[in-house]
Amino acid sequence: MAKRDEFDVCVIGTGAGGGVMLQELTAAGFRVVALQRGPFLKPADFDDDELRTVIRDEVFSADQVETYRYDENSPTETGRFNYTANCVGGTMTHWAAWSWRFRPDDFKVLSTEGPVVGASLADWPITYDEIEPFYQRAEWDFGVSGDAAGNPFGAPRKKAYPNPAHPGRSASNRVVQAARKLGYHPFPTPVAINSQPYGARAECVHGGACLGYGCPIGAKATSLSVCIPKALATGKLDLRPNATAREITIGKDGRARSVRYLDSQGKEHEVFARAIVVAGNAIGTPHLLLMSTSGSFPHGLANSSGLVGCNLTLHHIAAVAFTIDEPGRGFTGLHSHAAFDDLHPSDPKRGFIRGGVVGEANSPTNQPLSFALVTYQGYPAQRAWGRELKDYLRKFPRSIAVAAILEDLPMEANRIDLDPTVKDRYGLPAPRITHRQHPNDFAMNRWFTQRLMDVADAGGAVDKWEAQYYSLPTERSAMKGFMHFHGTCRMGDDPKGSVVDRWCRSHDVKNLWIVDGSVFPTSGGYNPTLTILANSYRVADHFVREAKRQQS
Amino acid sequence: MSQPGLSRREFFLQSAVYGSSLWVLLNMPRPRAMQAAEESSARAALTEEQWITVEAITGRILPTDQEPGAVEANCVNFIDKALAHEDAQAKPLYDAGLAGLGAVAHRRFEKPFTQLTPEQQDEILAALESGKADGWPNALVPSQQFFETVRAHTIIGFLADPKHGGNRGYAGWKVIGYPGGGHHLGGYSPAQMIGKEKIKTVWGEEV
Repeated sequence: MAKRDEFDVCVIGTGAGGGVMLQELTAAGFRVVALQRGPFLKPADFDDDELRTVIRDEVFSADQVETYRYDENSPTETGRFNYTANCVGGTMTHWAAWSWRFRPDDFKVLSTEGPVVGASLADWPITYDEIEPFYQRAEWDFGVSGDAAGNPFGAPRKKAYPNPAHPGRSASNRVVQAARKLGYHPFPTPVAINSQPYGARAECVHGGACLGYGCPIGAKATSLSVCIPKALATGKLDLRPNATAREITIGKDGRARSVRYLDSQGKEHEVFARAIVVAGNAIGTPHLLLMSTSGSFPHGLANSSGLVGCNLTLHHIAAVAFTIDEPGRGFTGLHSHAAFDDLHPSDPKRGFIRGGVVGEANSPTNQPLSFALVTYQGYPAQRAWGRELKDYLRKFPRSIAVAAILEDLPMEANRIDLDPTVKDRYGLPAPRITHRQHPNDFAMNRWFTQRLMDVADAGGAVDKWEAQYYSLPTERSAMKGFMHFHGTCRMGDDPKGSVVDRWCRSHDVKNLWIVDGSVFPTSGGYNPTLTILANSYRVADHFVREAKRQQS
Repeated sequence: MSQPGLSRREFFLQSAVYGSSLWVLLNMPRPRAMQAAEESSARAALTEEQWITVEAITGRILPTDQEPGAVEANCVNFIDKALAHEDAQAKPLYDAGLAGLGAVAHRRFEKPFTQLTPEQQDEILAALESGKADGWPNALVPSQQFFETVRAHTIIGFLADPKHGGNRGYAGWKVIGYPGGGHHLGGYSPAQMIGKEKIKTVWGEEV
């Protein structure tokens, strides 16, 4: 009999959460196998071709199939609703690299706000102070550029960013002026993009194509550019691209035993490991667990709580586009050069709780096709073609967008499960998204949209409009998907009310870990990736210490 | 595999009917076939009559004024190549839609679409866009869906990289003031980012 394909650890998914685990566990000497659906792309695979990359999405997730329904009584649509990257390095490969620490109250939403009807608010089992050292670790490993003293509303910190802030562009300078005029406190958006050579990676040349694109020069810090090379260099990593995990099996001892996965031809393989780490994002992770049924877990692995897949949060966006009387140079630089956080702290007097950060954002506004096809949504035109359309297109060089990343309230019925009929190319059930918004989301989105309109006016807007991508224009609107996925395998102390414990280990299966956005009990009003990274460092640190303690 | 055609129709219907779109819905799975959409104007998918009709439609969606429009940018060539490759699933929609357009034009003006004045062409296209075109023959293919598809294709042909077959001579990028992909150009200096220095375009001019 051939030797069994066996490792110390199997990590499923190589994005922000999985990448850090690969980096840390191989550094600690573990033999690790990593499974990733999609290819292992190189910098040469990335360019600025907007049609190929963003509109047709030929680079990142060509064969993704999902279904969506508003609620259990609504019809189901088939499509592609989440902007994931199914490749080595995961969705972080095409991220915009906004790098935030959550505020201390983001970890204690239930106790800060009290219960809210219709929402499944929860506290995280950890505090900001517990994760703070790992935020620092993430910022320094990924080379965040920014002004550490810039945000008076940000989380407290003990150490500055490793790299100085990037220079601004005309558009961001205009947003800074506007925010100051309104009494806000703008600052350079912190980004994990090199403002100087750092970590053996190049300095950013400000080519303008970040969000939705892989970085052709590696200046953008990603799992692909930071973690994977380090992990491979240890010689301890067996990286397997084009490997779609379809089931985690369980042994008689109740421990996770192996992972069955399909290669690009659909052929099944099985790999065994003493510990299994799932990092498939908040859609892929519950999808895999729910496909992994057995006698002891008939409703999905690690699902004694019944909560695997529940409490999906996606954020929602308020966005305003406007034009000014001079070129904004928005197609140069980063995705975002300026932000302000004054509107973030929760204030029930506004008619809603929670909030979010506001940033100047160059995509989908300062790229030609996105400007014409996406930012156009919401533009008040009499006619969508002819001279009017051409005149709209001529606004391109003078256009600016500001967007708010808004915390959505969790609801238990918002969830991922397995579609009963729609299958992917391998015959696996498509993940089915059931998602609608809490009334708090609509109130927040409307209020923030008005504040962004104020920013446009203060910025000297010649004209302005609500850019309706990912916004909630009507009370029946809902996010069908996004680039931020959280909540579907909550961490908590109570095994009945959560899927994993404070160390992101399954309450049910003691050698099964989850380290992606799915463990977030609440979504925060910031882009989530730095928190996914920091949490993964925290879990890896615990994992290694526990392993050493058990050895000695 | 699920039905990618359904997503396409849903998107175009959605953008026509509700006026809002999700960014991600533009990102539809498609076959990766298109390799040869260089500026070859040899027809790949459309008949000669279809070609001149599509060209005429694109010319009304992005008309020529003091600057080039869709005709000069050769958007029809982009569409032809897309229909032969990545967007082959939309070819039946074009076949049905162009037949419908011809029927509507004939009902209203007793002439082929390409022989109408620009004002008459606009009247026909507006009727298609509104879904109230007298004489539209095919209940299975809503005229709005056909119109929205050609509209989106025209925009893409105008503004995508010329290697996809449109945006001839960078006509579209010149109209909107886009210099080309930044990484391609080696990036931008801080002075260029604030307009203190000019930017060299892919086609060698300074803006």
